[in-house]
Amino acid sequence: MRLTVLILLILSVFTLTACSSGAGNTVIVAGSTSVQPYAEVLAENYSIIFPDRAVDIQGGGSSTGIRAAQSGTADIGMSSRELTEEEQEMWNIVIAKDGLVLIVHPQNPVNGLTLEQVRRIYTGDVTNWLEVGGADRRIHVITREEGSGTRGAFEDMLMENNLITSRAIVQNTNGSVRQLVSNDIDSIGFLSLGLADQSVKALELDGVAPTWNNVMLGDYTLFRQFYFVSAEKPSDYVKLFIDFALSEEGQRLLMLEGLITDMKEAE
Amino acid sequence: MTETKPKIKIRTVDLNLHYGSFHALEDITMDIEECKITAIIGPSGCGKSTLLRVFNRMNDLIPSCKTTGEILLDEKPIYGKNIDVVEHRKKVGMVFQKPNVFPMSIYENITIAPKRHGIKSRRRLDETVERSLKQVALWDEVKDDLGKSAQELPAGAQQRLCIARAVAVEPDVILMDESCSALDPESTMKIEELMFELVKKYTIIIVTHSMEQARRVSDMSAFIMLNKNLVGSLHEYGPTLDLFSKPKSTVTEDYITGRFG
Amino acid sequence: MKKTFKDKLSERIFLALALSSISALALITVFIIIQGAPIIGSVGIFNFIFGMTWAPSQGEFGIFPMIVGTLAVTLGAMVLGVPIGICSAVFLAEFAPVPVRNMFRPAIQLLAGIPSVVYGFWGLIFIVPLIRDYLGGPGLSILAGSIVLAIMILPTVISITEVSIIALPRTYKEGALALGMSHWQAIYSVQLPAAKSGIVAAVILGTGRAIGETMAVIMVLGNAPALPRSILDPVRTLTTNIGIEMGYATGDHRQALFATGIVLFILIMTLNITAQYITRKKKQK
Repeated sequence: MRLTVLILLILSVFTLTACSSGAGNTVIVAGSTSVQPYAEVLAENYSIIFPDRAVDIQGGGSSTGIRAAQSGTADIGMSSRELTEEEQEMWNIVIAKDGLVLIVHPQNPVNGLTLEQVRRIYTGDVTNWLEVGGADRRIHVITREEGSGTRGAFEDMLMENNLITSRAIVQNTNGSVRQLVSNDIDSIGFLSLGLADQSVKALELDGVAPTWNNVMLGDYTLFRQFYFVSAEKPSDYVKLFIDFALSEEGQRLLMLEGLITDMKEAE
Repeated sequence: MTETKPKIKIRTVDLNLHYGSFHALEDITMDIEECKITAIIGPSGCGKSTLLRVFNRMNDLIPSCKTTGEILLDEKPIYGKNIDVVEHRKKVGMVFQKPNVFPMSIYENITIAPKRHGIKSRRRLDETVERSLKQVALWDEVKDDLGKSAQELPAGAQQRLCIARAVAVEPDVILMDESCSALDPESTMKIEELMFELVKKYTIIIVTHSMEQARRVSDMSAFIMLNKNLVGSLHEYGPTLDLFSKPKSTVTEDYITGRFG
Repeated sequence: MKKTFKDKLSERIFLALALSSISALALITVFIIIQGAPIIGSVGIFNFIFGMTWAPSQGEFGIFPMIVGTLAVTLGAMVLGVPIGICSAVFLAEFAPVPVRNMFRPAIQLLAGIPSVVYGFWGLIFIVPLIRDYLGGPGLSILAGSIVLAIMILPTVISITEVSIIALPRTYKEGALALGMSHWQAIYSVQLPAAKSGIVAAVILGTGRAIGETMAVIMVLGNAPALPRSILDPVRTLTTNIGIEMGYATGDHRQALFATGIVLFILIMTLNITAQYITRKKKQK
């Protein structure tokens, strides 16, 4: 998997040079690794409908993606974090919303927490499951790395300017967070709603289950927006892919993958 | 000198040695007297060093080497089943062709073996160092530099240190394998003088290429050479004076007068 | 002798190649320093190195916990790996029968060729749960990292130590045995001290490898940028700090990662120079 990514990266460097020399028939999309898997699904289906049009999806992180879009090395940047004031001057659009979900081991007796409890667990004030209704065991707190969009979203929506404890275990992919939580009965982590699977248990927050419906209704408040950004108004060639992402078919695909897609406004 | 029968320190009867299928030494029968210097002489490749290394079982390091026959130290078999090789080597010390001081200080070179053999007291170790170095006439030269690396000594002094190191273990027998061949004449002379001192206490067996040295220092001489089957065997053995002045065989005479070898 | 055109040409080509590799190294060094120095300047070198809090989003750039983490994990790897490595080398050089030796040597070389991700993955799947279940804590810990690294440095430690034992003059061993020492006594009181400089070089190169390793330790250390309280605590090293955060880092955060690189660079350079100094001293003898 990593190897394929690497090969893709290397190949993309070559395609990139090819693109900039004018022959461009590939749309380069780069950025948030949270958005990446969804963008890949879009690209796959896009190339079935338009066999002569290729889309190349790369990771690198939100900031990298935005920078790449700014400098023109990518046609579209993907961001899973809110745009800074400066960045908002770029052309941008929300393609979907993603709920964040707190996950624990399936055998953990705790089924739900209040936002306050989650905050206190992540600040390091609460260190034992007993204090939040679980067994008398130490909590193993797992977080994402500084700079990650998922962490940024979690901090913005939940931490209220408190720092995540430095004693928390840090992982740099959603997959490894999920993998750790599924193996350690004492752990707690967070990731995109769409990426929580049967191997972990998603917690209710303030009594609200993290379901699509509850996000749509606005009851479940822990969600963030996924952006496509571009240096300037996209060319027709690039726009075709963005339009596809925002089309009924594109939004349906994203929904099937676990994202929340309630908006239709295209600019 | 009294005419009492000399005590035999090492006795071999029908000693045979093979390296795998290669027959190196054949039917060597000789008695080595206590507190005498016995020289083993002979042309290159005849097995002199191999014979010497039989006495402290150094040949054991070569897996294919097999020694048979009766080989006795103080009438007790060296190659017996219950013989502890390590214990045996404490009784039979060895000085090699090139000075092989260990890369450590002079003091450590001498004390390392006694320490392993269980001497812990600093005072006894100090005594051992002083006594051993005095025995090889090195004490005055190095007594203020005992902490100095032994490898910084000149070659002759290094070889004397090696002898001191062997003496420190308090062996009965000292084997010297061409121990002067790498030294200058002056150092050689010093070591030969040393042998005369040491032989009062120890049985010394030397291997030497130099007829002169054998004649100068040894009491007994053993002439080893390849027999008609090209296996090393004891050609002639007797008091050095006799062997050099009236050799029994013409081959011996030819060798000692330098006609071959 | 007059050089032909061909000789001259190939000489030039080799020179150019050599220069390009050296200049690549120089460029990397300069690049890291240019990228990383400003943040050290603005945070202050003391605050950067001895600062206890790493929170780039809050403008806090203290890497002291990671320096401690690096040292702890490396020391742990040494404590576990060096004795095993030296014993294995002694076994190979002194005791192993030829067929065993012929089997072991390539196996150890193979060990060196396994990608570090594989070691990390193995540690995560095998070592981490073991520690979590039997010793407590989250499993991702200094201990897990030390175990994985100890195995990773084995090839370095074993092969260099073995070579330096084999390279000793045979007369050291014979001399020791002739003094009535047992084989073991000869090894530890004469041969190993004589091979000391080689062994020290082996240990230092092993340390260098351990300090520089990223991929494997990211997976098993837990990467918490806090001072560890026990060997069962998660910890972050200098390398993993860069490895784990480079993906999204921008601005000062990015510079701080480069500055972490500078500290790491100095640490490893110091080690390598020490190793070279020691091996050179050995050769002069």
